Amino acid sequence: MSCEKVRNLLGPYVDGEAAPDARREVEAHVSDCYTCSEEFEHIRKLAVSLGRFRTGSVPSELWTTIEHRLDNQSRVRSFFPSVVRSRSLLAIAASIVVVIGLGLFGLPWGRDSSQVHAESVDFAVLLDGLQHDAVAAFDKFLTQYKAVVTTPEEAKRNAFGLNFDLPLTLPGGFELQTAYVLRFGEAPGVAARYDRGGEFLGVVFHAPVLKEHFGTHKDRACVVGKHRGHSVPVGDWSLVHLTDPTTCHCVLSRLNESTELPAVMAALAPLYAPTTGASDHRPDGS
Amino acid sequence: MDRAAQQEVYGRTVERVYGVLLRITHSSEDALELAQETYYQAFSHIRGFDGKSSFDTWLYRIAVNEALQLMRREGMARAKRESLAVQPGTDAGDDDADARIDIEAALVELHPLERTMLILRYQEGLDYQTIAQITDCSPGTVGSRLNRAREKMRELLKKGYSFAEETPAPKHPMDRVEGESVDGNTTPSAPRVRRGTGT
Repeated sequence: MSCEKVRNLLGPYVDGEAAPDARREVEAHVSDCYTCSEEFEHIRKLAVSLGRFRTGSVPSELWTTIEHRLDNQSRVRSFFPSVVRSRSLLAIAASIVVVIGLGLFGLPWGRDSSQVHAESVDFAVLLDGLQHDAVAAFDKFLTQYKAVVTTPEEAKRNAFGLNFDLPLTLPGGFELQTAYVLRFGEAPGVAARYDRGGEFLGVVFHAPVLKEHFGTHKDRACVVGKHRGHSVPVGDWSLVHLTDPTTCHCVLSRLNESTELPAVMAALAPLYAPTTGASDHRPDGS
Repeated sequence: MDRAAQQEVYGRTVERVYGVLLRITHSSEDALELAQETYYQAFSHIRGFDGKSSFDTWLYRIAVNEALQLMRREGMARAKRESLAVQPGTDAGDDDADARIDIEAALVELHPLERTMLILRYQEGLDYQTIAQITDCSPGTVGSRLNRAREKMRELLKKGYSFAEETPAPKHPMDRVEGESVDGNTTPSAPRVRRGTGT
């Protein structure tokens, strides 16, 4: 066995992960090779040194904070149980709310529930439900952030500072069904539902300072057109994020990232600046 | 999962979860926030646990995901801001403390994913299969990433960082006496060496 091959096996050997045959070959080689024996010694010492660190104690307030968030979540769920179960009821309730006006955001119950997700956007509920029923999962996400039905124009006025567009028709023939304003903690957001002959496409815009959570799902770097972003794939679906200095543009669809999605994204983010954007979503490089 | 069960899971796992987050981020503030998010996500989406791995592995996976996302968003500069949040253990003599801090400083220089691999393997003692489940890759990839991380550590240590020497200066292999062990309790024995050239 060559030195190069042995050196690739030394790590697994030290870690107890090398197969029995490989172990024997490593041992035979190292016993005859001073250079590889030194390499072995280096890896072994590094392993021992790395294992010697301890961390400080867990802050005592951690459990209390978690419990408080879970309690808040329970209160929100118990307030919206029927809405979460029924899409049509959500639409009716949302329509009533928009007639009354957006001033509802000032009501005490609204503020209390929005604090659950302050300063973050939790996509886990959406991603978890995609394989089962994407539209229902999107509705659940909207409910989580107190979606209120509105017009595209009103959405732009209420989400001042976000850079986006909500055209009535997207490239590829998707037609706007419903626009919503959302609340991510104290920050405004916008969502929309598009349809192409029964094919659903969802859109969410939020400020880039908000943290995104994907639950157990993994995001990966992607390129849409000339822009770098990141994508969370779930089955045929993917939630693609492109960020410019003012807005994170999130599109949930089954569209191909190379062919159909660039035009759709360009329509939703017409002023997207590739030279300054996407800095928050750099690929791993790993 | 009721509250008592949640508290039991929390009590059983929090030291390790918080420890991993602290070592990845090198910020007690970030580790606290990420640990909170980890348990909130786990308890809120318990139905997402598919039983393909152990619950603890699933919890690690959420924690590592959250930490790597944070590091990606905010860059490595954040990790360097609080580079000594991790304290050397107290079970070894103080004369090794400086060298161990050097190792820790070298760890901070690594890419977060490579640092995470080293932490999960050597500080958490997890096998390649479990690390693969946590980081969503194959055990073979874990092995090659660990090789790369170790190689980078070697380069960094050459620049002035040093090892915590748990043994006296190594003897030349030819000087070892028959039957003498060169290793500690947790790593395999070094095969005895005869002087020779690489093949």
